[in-house]
Amino acid sequence: MSAARKRISPAYQNYLNTKSTVFKGLCIAFTAAILAVLAFVTFYLLQKGFTHISLSFFTELPIPPGMENAPGGMKNALIGTIILIALAGVVGIPLGMLAGIYLSEYSSNSWLGAPTRFISDVLTGVPSIVVGILGYELLVAPISANISYWMQFTWLTRKLLHLFPNGTFNGYAGAAALAFIMIPIVARTTEEMLRLVPHSYREASIALGATKARTILKVVVPAATGSLVTGIMLSIARIAGETAPLLFTALGSRLLTLDPANPFPSLTVQVFTYATGPFKEEQELAWAGMLILIGLVFILNLVVRLTIHSMQRNKLARA
Amino acid sequence: MSELSSNIPSLAPDGQRRNRSLILEHRGLSTDAIMAGLARTGAVCILLMLAALIIVLAITAWPAITTFGWKFLVGTQWRPNELPLIDAAGNIVYEDGEMVMSPPVFGALPVIYGTIVSSILAIGFAVPLSFGAALFLVRLCPKKLIGGISFLVEFLAAVPSIAYGMWGLFVLAPFLQRYVEPTLKSGLSWIPGVNAWLFVQTSTRTGESITSELPLTGRDMFCGGLVLAIMILPIITAISRDVLKSVPRAQIEGTLALGSTWWQSSFEMLRYSRSALFGAVMLGLARAAGETMAITMVIGNNNQINKSLFAPAQTMSSLLANEFAEASSEIHRAALTEVALILLLMSLIFNVVARRLVVGSNANTAAAH
Repeated sequence: MSAARKRISPAYQNYLNTKSTVFKGLCIAFTAAILAVLAFVTFYLLQKGFTHISLSFFTELPIPPGMENAPGGMKNALIGTIILIALAGVVGIPLGMLAGIYLSEYSSNSWLGAPTRFISDVLTGVPSIVVGILGYELLVAPISANISYWMQFTWLTRKLLHLFPNGTFNGYAGAAALAFIMIPIVARTTEEMLRLVPHSYREASIALGATKARTILKVVVPAATGSLVTGIMLSIARIAGETAPLLFTALGSRLLTLDPANPFPSLTVQVFTYATGPFKEEQELAWAGMLILIGLVFILNLVVRLTIHSMQRNKLARA
Repeated sequence: MSELSSNIPSLAPDGQRRNRSLILEHRGLSTDAIMAGLARTGAVCILLMLAALIIVLAITAWPAITTFGWKFLVGTQWRPNELPLIDAAGNIVYEDGEMVMSPPVFGALPVIYGTIVSSILAIGFAVPLSFGAALFLVRLCPKKLIGGISFLVEFLAAVPSIAYGMWGLFVLAPFLQRYVEPTLKSGLSWIPGVNAWLFVQTSTRTGESITSELPLTGRDMFCGGLVLAIMILPIITAISRDVLKSVPRAQIEGTLALGSTWWQSSFEMLRYSRSALFGAVMLGLARAAGETMAITMVIGNNNQINKSLFAPAQTMSSLLANEFAEASSEIHRAALTEVALILLLMSLIFNVVARRLVVGSNANTAAAH
């Protein structure tokens, strides 16, 4: 082999060098192009949002175009989104965290671990509109389509029906769809964060005589609290921007309502309706609503990043 | 670990609490058992979620599955309403003085076609850009810039899709309509075949086919593909950056020691991690195929197959977003649910394959969504 060492002709070497430079330039150009496009998009959204946002956006209800003081504000949608997120969180955070605790602490010698981990990963990739349809089939259609059917049963179903006087789209279904999206995300981040807690903590706790449950609740989870909160914030940022699962569940509403048994307003659905609608005033409201959404996502992401950064630094300092 | 802790008696400092826990344990209800049970419930809940998704959709779609069978997948007509029956000559058929109505027809091929073509367009635009950017971030980027660029990329992956939709609707679509598409039309029409392919539409009415110029609206398949591409850029960039970062240093140094140029060693990096990169592309594809709001706003929403990229189209998800809330007949809703089922199965396959491929490299696929 050594005798057969071939020399590359200078011309070929030149060609290779040029090719390399060209591709290097392409990589830089591509990065610049991506950043430019994305910066343009965000800048445009921000600029439009800031021109159309005002105090009345937060304090007024929508006023139909053509009437005095139109288009009003989106107070109902803001409150609606907050309530939806809170309801989804009440269900989604505990369930997700329990699943995460299972994956990190209990699953090591159980058949349940691997499939759960894999399926929660897969669930994060399910198109959110499909989740909306599930919500419709489970929590909207059965009520609206079969009221007389349910009525003939016991007092319990009748009592349950009283919760939904309109028998149609309702906020509970919307919150459930959002919780569905939230659970796998919370589960996987919880698992990853708990795995970062050093094993020696658990061993020390067990050695002191604590039970496994006590170890988890008093040692492992508290040690990871900061990062668990970050994970939850990321999942909230994700569901705050979801529109598709709410289209057939909460549906949206122009009224201010605090009772999730009714069709329920949300920022995203209202922005979508306004943006695709024909009225200029409403489109302006949509830009302002968009700004709120993007601002929320940006702030949550920034906080998460800063927290993780400081935690990594702490960890390095400890090591 | 669990054996250890249950064999050692609890050494709680105050006796009362210890007694209580002993009593509970006597009843078979130690806090340990409760905790384990709760945690297991959470895990089972996740399994049930996927099962519920598939089962509920399949049950609701069953009327459509039995009515249309395999024809649902290849039917090109999507018509939820009854129409007067028209015979070959183009006249309305009457029977006893009443119009004969043809029942609604549902074929999913137009939306499947729309989903596939728009996703492929998106991948075509996004993959070279993302791989280039990933290489830049791993090999060329000054240390000071990495943090900022990474944060920007991750933030943009988290921006709600409706934001990209609004931008596409109010900025990109008018821009395409006014400048890009007319330029392309005048610039490309001289190539034989291109005009007939991209800028002409044929419609069949009363038996004869009419050829006319395609109106350029800006809200079309091309625009949809572009918006999807912009949306999946951050994800593919982020994952492929992580994948390339995990290429062993020795591999790169080896190629450089053999005298390869920068591009040759970069190409070697891409080749070394090709299966994980393919997984990253699949994840992008899954997201593009399932994306709803942005594409609904820009693709034009027309349930027909059109060979031109500049004609309005429809994807599976945009069809659902447009029609599901207003579907009145049961068969219409069942047909829509069957579309949702197809979409779900497609995204499950993409996700499963992608995650199998990316697993093993250090990329964190869960965080990318």
